[in-house]
Amino acid sequence: MYRSQTLALKYFSAAMTLFGIMTVSGLIAAYYYLNPDFLFGILPFNIAKILHINTLVIWLLMGFMGSIYWFLPEELGRETAGIRAAEVLFYVFCAAVAVVAVVFIFVQYGGSDEAALWLINQGRKYVEAPRWAALGIVVIMVVFAYNVMGTAIAARKTTGIITVLMIDLIPLILLYLIAFPAISNMSADLFWWWWLVHLWVEATWEVLIGCIMALALMQLLGTSRRIVETWLYIEVALVLGTGILGLGHHYFWIGTPNYWLTIGGFFSALEPLPLLGMVVHAVYDAGAQHMKTTNRPALYWMMAEAFGNFIGAGVWGFMITLPQVNLYAHGTQWTVSHGHFAFWGAYGCGVISVLYLVLQKTRNLAFVDGPRWKWSFAALNLGLVGMTGALLVAGFVQAFVERAIGGSTLNAFISGQENAWFVDGMVARFLLAIVFTAGYVVLVWDVLTVGRRAPAVAAVAPAQ
Amino acid sequence: MSALATLETGLLLGLYALLAGIWGVLWALAQVRQAPIFGRSAAAAYGLHILAALTIILWTPLGFGWKCLIVGSSLVFFVMPWMTWRFLQHTHQNGGSEHDRKPSQHSGRVVARL
Amino acid sequence: MYFDDPVFWRAGAISTIAVMSIVLIMLTIDSLSAISPGGSHVPPYTVINQHIDYKFDSNRGFDVPVISGAEPLIDRGKMVIQSRACIDCHTFFGNGAYYAPDLTKAWLDPDWEAWQAVTGADTREGAMVKFLMDPEQYRTWTRTMPNLGVSEEEAQALVAYLKWMSAVDTNGFPPNFNQIEQRR
Repeated sequence: MYRSQTLALKYFSAAMTLFGIMTVSGLIAAYYYLNPDFLFGILPFNIAKILHINTLVIWLLMGFMGSIYWFLPEELGRETAGIRAAEVLFYVFCAAVAVVAVVFIFVQYGGSDEAALWLINQGRKYVEAPRWAALGIVVIMVVFAYNVMGTAIAARKTTGIITVLMIDLIPLILLYLIAFPAISNMSADLFWWWWLVHLWVEATWEVLIGCIMALALMQLLGTSRRIVETWLYIEVALVLGTGILGLGHHYFWIGTPNYWLTIGGFFSALEPLPLLGMVVHAVYDAGAQHMKTTNRPALYWMMAEAFGNFIGAGVWGFMITLPQVNLYAHGTQWTVSHGHFAFWGAYGCGVISVLYLVLQKTRNLAFVDGPRWKWSFAALNLGLVGMTGALLVAGFVQAFVERAIGGSTLNAFISGQENAWFVDGMVARFLLAIVFTAGYVVLVWDVLTVGRRAPAVAAVAPAQ
Repeated sequence: MSALATLETGLLLGLYALLAGIWGVLWALAQVRQAPIFGRSAAAAYGLHILAALTIILWTPLGFGWKCLIVGSSLVFFVMPWMTWRFLQHTHQNGGSEHDRKPSQHSGRVVARL
Repeated sequence: MYFDDPVFWRAGAISTIAVMSIVLIMLTIDSLSAISPGGSHVPPYTVINQHIDYKFDSNRGFDVPVISGAEPLIDRGKMVIQSRACIDCHTFFGNGAYYAPDLTKAWLDPDWEAWQAVTGADTREGAMVKFLMDPEQYRTWTRTMPNLGVSEEEAQALVAYLKWMSAVDTNGFPPNFNQIEQRR
């Protein structure tokens, strides 16, 4: 096993740990809606939320990095360049995340000065981490890019997939620099902030997970390189073709000119179209193999990725993307419903799929199956879809009561939040979050034990 | 423009997109399984999708341009599964051996330029 | 000689009057522009919200008015918002977290009238400043805003920020703002 692949395992372990912290902090934040005095004065809602959304970003990033560190040496036929630096930085990364989290929890905030932004909390959504940590993330990502590019240079070769990855990493890293400035003008702040968030999750991250899925498909289904490369280019063209100006769907209400209503609405309405192609492609791949595979959880999680992406990002996004509807739905639990489903379908499922692929190799398993992965698959997906449904009900009610009939005032907000359907929706969301959490626990249990308990299972060929 | 009608439009748009997805999946399954039930279900799903599209066009307060977009999207949703499938078959036929997973060797010049 | 001709002097009078009148009209147009609020010599009325000073200008050789003050308040207000991570409970232009109300039009919210009485403040600004300095003392409903250690200076900057934000043209967001209240 290459050192890069050993490092990949460490990144996956860290990713799974942060997934757990994301889940716990999510439970806390969700419970606040049911009991507003819960942990009041100790851990305010905004800190729980900050932990939840920052661990979301970091666990996924670590999952992506783990995937690339795993596939890269085999793809290019040699050890990853700069691997020693990457190994050291992994521990630095983990330590930094821990320090940032401890400061969030125990210090929480400072004064309205530069020192607070550098050391405690920058207070911009998803990128609240203090500047010193943001600087650290830049270093880690630059070294990661060097690992990829340096390996290609040292190997004196590249592949279509790695070339796309290398090109993608450049805007991905440059966009992160938007995490640094404190812009007084809120319109300008949000304008640039959306370049970072949207062009990450609806552009550069889509390309990144596309590269990872291409690498995974070659191993999982034995698909030929030429085919995955062709489809990678098509997917990149369609996703970026709709997503770059689809950025405009965040520019409806932040003080920008109203031509964004037409441009943003039109391009983001096109976004589901390529995702349907992806779903058909998934059925083709599954069907061609008759769902026969030596790694059932990896295949099922990859199917979940294709379907989750279409429904969570495509369908749920389509509901609220037209400006006429968005005027009422913007900044409500409807948005939250879409956000949870989209992140899960577009990225979470994919990372878990690769994790199972990696486990098959590291534990030398001829066949990966069993009851545990099925329980975690069911609980995680049903929990997530259930949460999404509950939030949709709450969000629809909120949009109607607070905005449509309430007049969007402070009092209207309260009326919406106290509406019986809204409250029920938030209770249901919390209960389903517990289901999701149970799924996470079983996932970790399976990941730690698959192939280790019963050697006989490992050697048995598929029954079909 | 009634606010409730606008919100209901949102739900309708979601249903519209979801039915397009169901149509695509069932159509693809019909190619794989060769059982008539899938083909019929696919047609039914697309029929419901068209019903959703008509409801959006005739009943919702969206403007003319957006309704044209719905019509255009429905046409694209209709051909998308077939186009995707044909291209998949084409690439798999011409894609080389199943185990052709080794990195291609033509990239020396690309790397030299790095 | 033409000096003796009264027609010469008549023409002179007419042309002089015409030229002077035209010059007066041109100067009037230019002056009206300069003396309109926002022109080169008369500030816009919004200057009443800014800091006004009177300082010697060496280029011109005498004292001139110096107007400043809004920007530092706005900069400070934004720093308060970031340092306290307000956006992780509230939304701004609908962006942020959904546990607490949207603040886009908070400055214009009709509720502050009632809060003046509750906080014992003379003005809306005063009520907002008092609330922000100790929100736990002025609980609005079951979800309490925590005390974030906001000083009076910071609270004033924050209120100025919210006031500025409420004046941004957001293409109609949030919808129906306060219109339903006014119709009641």
